[in-house]
Amino acid sequence: MRFLLHRAAQGAFVLIAISIVGFLLLHIAPGEFFSEIRLNPQIAPATVDALRVQYGLDRSLPAQYGLWLRSALRGDFGFSFAYNRPVSSLLWPRVRNTLLLNTVALTAAWLFALVLGAWAAAHPKGWADRLSAVLTSTMLVVPDLMFALALLMVAVRTRRFPAGGMLGLEAAEHSLWSQAQDFSEHLFLPVLTIVLGVFPILYRHVRSSLAEALASPFVQAARGYGLGRNQILFRQAFPAAANPLISLFGLSFGLLLSASLLVEVVFSWPGLGPMLLESILARDVYVIVGVVLLSAVLVIIGNLFADVLLYWNDPRIRAEWQ
Amino acid sequence: MRVSRAIVLPLMFLLFLHLIVLVAGFVTPYNAATQFREDPFAPPSRVHFFDVNGRFHLRPFVYDWTSGVEFAKYVEDRNRAFPIRFFVTGNAYSVAGLFRWNLHLFGVDEPAHLFLLGSDGYGRDQFSRFLFGGQISLFAGLLAAFLSLSLGLLLGAAAGYHGGALDAALMRTTEIFAALPWLYLLLALRAVLPLGFDPAPTFLLIIAVIGIVGWSRPARLVRGIVLSAKEHNYVLAARGFGATELYLLRRHVLPQTRGVVLTQATILIPQYILAEVTLSFLGLGVAEPMASWGNMLSALQQYSILTSYWWMIVPGFLLVPIFLSYYILARSFESRVESSSY
Amino acid sequence: MRDLIKALLGKLVVLMCFPGMLVLAASGTEEFLVANSEPGASGGKLVVAERSEPKTLNPVTALDGPSRDVIRRMTADLIRINRNTQRTEAALAKSWTVSPDKRTYTLKLRRGIRFSDGHTFDASDVVFSFQVYLDEKVHSVQRDLLMIDGKPLIVTKLDPYTVRFDLPKAYAAAERLFDSIAMLPRHLLEIPYKEGKLASAWGLDVAADQIAGLGPFRLKEYVAGQRMVLERNPYYWKIDSKRTRLPYLQQIVYIFVPSEDAQVLRFEVGETDILNRMSAENFSVLEKDQQVRGFKLFDLGPGLEYNFLLFNLNDDTAGRLPEIAGHEVWFRDQKFRQAVSTAIDRNAIVKLVYQGRAVSLASQVTPGNKLWRNDALPKPQYSLANARALLRTAGFRWRPDGTLIDAAGQPVSFSILVSASNAQRKQMATLIQADLKQLGITVQVVPMEFRAQLDRILQTHDYDAAIMALGSGDADPTAEMNVWLSTGSTHLWHLGQKQPATNWEAEIDRLMQAQESETDSQKRKREYDQVQEIVATQLPIICLVSPNILVGAKARLTNFEPAILDHYTLWNADELYWRP
Repeated sequence: MRFLLHRAAQGAFVLIAISIVGFLLLHIAPGEFFSEIRLNPQIAPATVDALRVQYGLDRSLPAQYGLWLRSALRGDFGFSFAYNRPVSSLLWPRVRNTLLLNTVALTAAWLFALVLGAWAAAHPKGWADRLSAVLTSTMLVVPDLMFALALLMVAVRTRRFPAGGMLGLEAAEHSLWSQAQDFSEHLFLPVLTIVLGVFPILYRHVRSSLAEALASPFVQAARGYGLGRNQILFRQAFPAAANPLISLFGLSFGLLLSASLLVEVVFSWPGLGPMLLESILARDVYVIVGVVLLSAVLVIIGNLFADVLLYWNDPRIRAEWQ
Repeated sequence: MRVSRAIVLPLMFLLFLHLIVLVAGFVTPYNAATQFREDPFAPPSRVHFFDVNGRFHLRPFVYDWTSGVEFAKYVEDRNRAFPIRFFVTGNAYSVAGLFRWNLHLFGVDEPAHLFLLGSDGYGRDQFSRFLFGGQISLFAGLLAAFLSLSLGLLLGAAAGYHGGALDAALMRTTEIFAALPWLYLLLALRAVLPLGFDPAPTFLLIIAVIGIVGWSRPARLVRGIVLSAKEHNYVLAARGFGATELYLLRRHVLPQTRGVVLTQATILIPQYILAEVTLSFLGLGVAEPMASWGNMLSALQQYSILTSYWWMIVPGFLLVPIFLSYYILARSFESRVESSSY
Repeated sequence: MRDLIKALLGKLVVLMCFPGMLVLAASGTEEFLVANSEPGASGGKLVVAERSEPKTLNPVTALDGPSRDVIRRMTADLIRINRNTQRTEAALAKSWTVSPDKRTYTLKLRRGIRFSDGHTFDASDVVFSFQVYLDEKVHSVQRDLLMIDGKPLIVTKLDPYTVRFDLPKAYAAAERLFDSIAMLPRHLLEIPYKEGKLASAWGLDVAADQIAGLGPFRLKEYVAGQRMVLERNPYYWKIDSKRTRLPYLQQIVYIFVPSEDAQVLRFEVGETDILNRMSAENFSVLEKDQQVRGFKLFDLGPGLEYNFLLFNLNDDTAGRLPEIAGHEVWFRDQKFRQAVSTAIDRNAIVKLVYQGRAVSLASQVTPGNKLWRNDALPKPQYSLANARALLRTAGFRWRPDGTLIDAAGQPVSFSILVSASNAQRKQMATLIQADLKQLGITVQVVPMEFRAQLDRILQTHDYDAAIMALGSGDADPTAEMNVWLSTGSTHLWHLGQKQPATNWEAEIDRLMQAQESETDSQKRKREYDQVQEIVATQLPIICLVSPNILVGAKARLTNFEPAILDHYTLWNADELYWRP
């Protein structure tokens, strides 16, 4: 229990640090949200200046940060210049959609990576191992955006999948079952794209650490004792190999909001991605800080989870910690 | 050192690749910047051995591409054949920045062009750009990966080995680094740099920053391993025998991280080379007219290019054997170590 | 029993009067505008993709493109600019008179018009709307449009259907002012305005019954990040020649598709009905499929946008930015600018960047601007020989290795700043870089994030040259006063002048101010023609090309009249219908 309290306190500290550093980074680059309308010959500079004052952009950085902090404690997390609304009201509807997409994608990627990685580690230099080596090298070379676009082209040409969005236009009028079908049709291609980006990393680590564990003396001893292959794999090798995989799992958790940014843009998935991209291009700073903090919460929780699992998995660490 | 047969092929391939990239000026018929504005998006030149009359020629030749009014629609002009000559003089180039030369391995006479991999939207030879691009991308990718891995190893090992407050401080710092939008740091960096800054150092600076910023994932992985490795019985035993901490680290603990570090290397190198695809979206990539693998691949992110100009994808395919070779080499290092670490 | 009969009788009477009331309504109390488009069939919906979702539905504060697009379908103006003819025509105002001194406009409103929620519209709404737009504390960007020489219009209600506008001085483009001033419903917005909360009214979370307008459509539903649905306004004040009330379409559905390539793909497969502006490359890809897939593509020729190369001519760089000040010595020489202009291969830009779907420009007015283009201007020449001759007379020489050096022996080298998110301008910069290499000039192309680039050009003046684009406003020259006036806020090459820095800038000032109040339209055209001549010879900006406007729509969509003024495809959404 004390451990958790410690970590919660540290987590809060990290969040504040992130908000400060993020704030600073966002303001170092010259230019701001209202720079663009200055280029419009039909808008007077006085109007732009007045708008800046209205949004507090003429105040000093610490003052602006202070205002933001107060707003955050109120639950608003700042104001979006573009939408003229509190940031939190913009985030919640979209967070759900992004989490849905990424949870399905990351779960699928992990499952495939574990199964294929274990197989390859158990049969090194077999055809599965070699094929996976070539495939993962190819996946690492393909730019995400290009792959998403290629899949979209396939969807469009074959008419098997919808060309984007999360639900069809008339979905709400149909039964729950057909809505679920509609949703999964829309989900398939974006999930596939994300999996293809994440899978090679997971696979290579799974294979590498399992192969290392399978080659270690105690596994060879177990073989010597006549233990079955599966038993060796699951009872001996996995726990030994789990260490880096647990750390990776914690890191994956932290990706639950950010892995799908580009994919959401290409497939018009109504998550945080399109809004974040627009805010980055438009310098809508408080929206960016809001999304960053949400991501940070997931990163912190992921690492905490991973640490707990590490201690649980490896008794030796537990001993030292005590 | 035992060299297993499996790694000979990838090793030779990589050495060959690095060699021709180094002397790209000699191997390629053109340089990366020359625009042949009459031939935008020209398909790869067809190399012929038989002419229109069916006669065989020992020396291969090409025809010039001609196009009509429609954009980028080409037919071969069979009226005149242009044989491929070897050891021709062409554009001047510098060899390893030391001296200038103008001998090229092969080429054809004007007005025809030898586009082995086709040309891009400005009529620049893709084959030349690919090899010149390798000069930047290979170096940048290796540099950034090296920075990330060294920092990650150092800090991750320190965190795992000492534990306690240092571990907490370092791990919280990884969380800060993992969560922040570093794209913004880079944007700010570029906007703040003076305009006259040379393009090459600018790009290297950006890659270095990406590399430094990317230490958090390797660090976490290493730290996890070290946390467990330092509790192994033989470590405790060795300490009991009076070994110093440094010796324990070097001899027993760090080698355990080799698997993770090598795997991360095989992942980070292609990721950093491809990071430029995202960087050029925000104006942080390599400056025109320099070529890099990243900015060649970023052209593929357009629907019109994917459908109409298939040869633009070939540079992507050429990268696969390169990364595959790195992967095979890394895995062979791992397996060599596995059997000898205890 | 008798009560029952009475009740039934009563209902019968009402029933009989009902058609009578309809006839009354249709013929007497409402003064419709009769559209002269082909009469069509009611029904159906239109699915349109937008690059991003609207940020607000408030006409007073909306700044971004998508918001304004959607708002314009839901609102109407007193006088509007017909996108096809580029001239003004009657809208909510059925007629107007102008005083002899051209300073007073008296507009007569149509009678019997209702807002989309059924509430009546009259002059008090007009007065209220202008009061809101002109209020300094509201910070509406429309306010600047209504200020002439720093003084606001004065709006007076003469009677419930007549409004008088007094201008501070005679203003040639007065009628065009009304085109982007949407009329607001006093009954919904007066209270928020008095409470100072107008700016936060009508955000995306507004309930459909709390927002009303005079446009052909009204808000039905909004789903965050996914779509916005507009439905037909049953009270719309336009009818066709067969006396059917417009619009024909029942719904417009906006879906949000951030990626242009995804938009093209969805249009190709028929998920969207209109493609509002596409790039030249995508046009070529779609062209092949036209017949098969049942859509039509339109190349409308050049729009109003002009891309240009801009040299930094600011004089406040002297102490602060010595390297740039050093480069400005070259830029200030007119012959240098002319040499650069004539060394640029604009045809290559048209061909390689736009696949032929663009037009090279000599000055800032494009061929798409039918009313104002100076056709007498010679087309830009491409001649390296001329460029070299010009440089020689300006005192430049060449080293043996081909590098250009100035009279002081300095090699000529500078950077061109370009927006990193605009692929076309980056390509132009790369082509110009190669062109100028032929003259021995070394150019560095520096892509930079758009707002950082703007900051350098507008605020810090820390740049050598840049490639930018302007001109998406109105066709009328007054829309760009601030670019050409030496004191203008977007006089990009030399900002912050208190006195015109050169003779020709003083001459442009004189001409622009003259044309602003010029009542004789022939004279006005000649004045602006002269401005274009000066721009073409003095080259404060080196105009490059203007891209063509490329749109597409399903073949069955009738009355589709795309134009080169914004909004290219939906400006006549009220007249569109599906051919059965």
